[in-house]
Amino acid sequence: MDYLIFSFSLMLVYIGLAQLLHIQFGMAGIPNFGVVGFWGLGLYGTGVLYLTYDVPLFIAIAMASLLSAAAGYVLALLVLQRSGQAVLAATLALSAIIATLIVSEKDITGGVQGLGTIKFPFGDMDGRNIVFMVFILIVVIALVWLSAKLRDSRMGRQLVAIRDNEELAASLGKNTASTKRWVFAVTCGMMGVLGGMSAPLHQFLVPYQLAPSLTFAVWIALVLGGKGHNLGATVGVFVTFGLFDILIETYAPVPAEQAILLPNFKLFCYGLVLIMIIMFRPRGMLGEDKPRVRARPAQAQGVPRET
Amino acid sequence: MFEARNMCSGYGEMAVLKDISFSVKDEIFAVLGANGAGKTTLLKTLARLLPVQSGDLTLDGSDVSATPAYSMPGAGVAYVPQEGNVFPDLSVLENLSIGGRTGHRSKAEKLDEVFALFPRLKERRSQAAGSLSGGEGQMLAVGRALMQDPQVLLLDEPSAGLSPLFVDTLFTSIADTRRDRGLTIVLAEQNAVKTLEIADRVMVLSLGEMHLLRDRADLSMSDITAAYHI
Repeated sequence: MDYLIFSFSLMLVYIGLAQLLHIQFGMAGIPNFGVVGFWGLGLYGTGVLYLTYDVPLFIAIAMASLLSAAAGYVLALLVLQRSGQAVLAATLALSAIIATLIVSEKDITGGVQGLGTIKFPFGDMDGRNIVFMVFILIVVIALVWLSAKLRDSRMGRQLVAIRDNEELAASLGKNTASTKRWVFAVTCGMMGVLGGMSAPLHQFLVPYQLAPSLTFAVWIALVLGGKGHNLGATVGVFVTFGLFDILIETYAPVPAEQAILLPNFKLFCYGLVLIMIIMFRPRGMLGEDKPRVRARPAQAQGVPRET
Repeated sequence: MFEARNMCSGYGEMAVLKDISFSVKDEIFAVLGANGAGKTTLLKTLARLLPVQSGDLTLDGSDVSATPAYSMPGAGVAYVPQEGNVFPDLSVLENLSIGGRTGHRSKAEKLDEVFALFPRLKERRSQAAGSLSGGEGQMLAVGRALMQDPQVLLLDEPSAGLSPLFVDTLFTSIADTRRDRGLTIVLAEQNAVKTLEIADRVMVLSLGEMHLLRDRADLSMSDITAAYHI
């Protein structure tokens, strides 16, 4: 039962990360290949503050997320106005640097020996892991809701405009560089929050958790579900992590001698589904959110909100 | 009034426009030239999407040679690029709306005007802009620029790729807009015949240099043809 709660909690964290990537890439067109780096700063930042400096867990999460946001802002300042490939390479490189620093700065992070133990919050009450899972669920639902509201807002339309044609958006009076920078920093900070919330889930932190596979898993989920659809991230994580990591790996009656092949089989299936999606539904399973005209009194005559 | 003095501009280190001097005020100012003459570079420079490499560029007496592009709509300048001039994933209304924050008139009033000028846009207001035809997309781009309540409208080859019938409608709309709103319009075009019907003054560019700048009344097609081939 505890393992199932752990798996569900982790799946919720993945949904949150994929949702934030939907905002960064699906809405604003910023290809962040360093998701694990910003998540990892939150994870280790929380761990270090909580264990070394006795900072209460939720305050440690908030402080660590500020660190992720600051890293996102500085990186954005340096590379966001360059080409997509440059942003992709820079974000990937930053996550590799963070992972290397966590190994090398062992006086702070524990290095390869790790850092622990980070306890669940809420004192000694029974079922703290379930309460914490519900807490993560609330945060993730709030993220999905906010993301939907964002797409329908002035800022959301501005992000889509920047993604589609940054030069045109600038000529319409939008400070595209500043908008992208702040959106990237805030969403990286939120990735740090999810990293911080992952610390009690893992309880013991080791550098292996910062492997790029997390970034790729989140990307695969987003592309599968639909990068431009608000629920694409959620559906993508259910299909990948939920189906393979939870349902099949945990519950499928696989004979012991074949069980060792399951992780490889999972990667094979990820790849196969990804190829099929790219070939037959390039915009993902759910496609793209459609533009909408809202039924408001002021819009009855065709007047949208201020943009 | 836009005024350029000995202005050079281009992409990175490469100068495309060389030593251009002109001023524009309360008129339709046509910029003609063959492909590669520098028309788009000129309009992008006026919209501040390309840097002024040397020389001066002023708007109503203020130096705008280092002004960022996003400040130009606030200064009354609207730009309609030749290609990629709509946001395909936004609806027609969202496209119009995104350009409507400048000026002091209400958005509803401005929308009514745009819909009166281009009724087709009202019919398609909830449709994704990416699904519009070329002509409708051009209407949307011009409509969105008008939503900015500009003093100066920069139009880059609005007739490119449009059917002759629609070109007539578009040029009539441009002339009407100039007359009704008293705008200054800088119109870069290859369609010299249609452009001469509505322009007040004409500049001909060739290989980034200005070869002719004259009132339309003093111009003949042969003057233009000669300038094209310098």
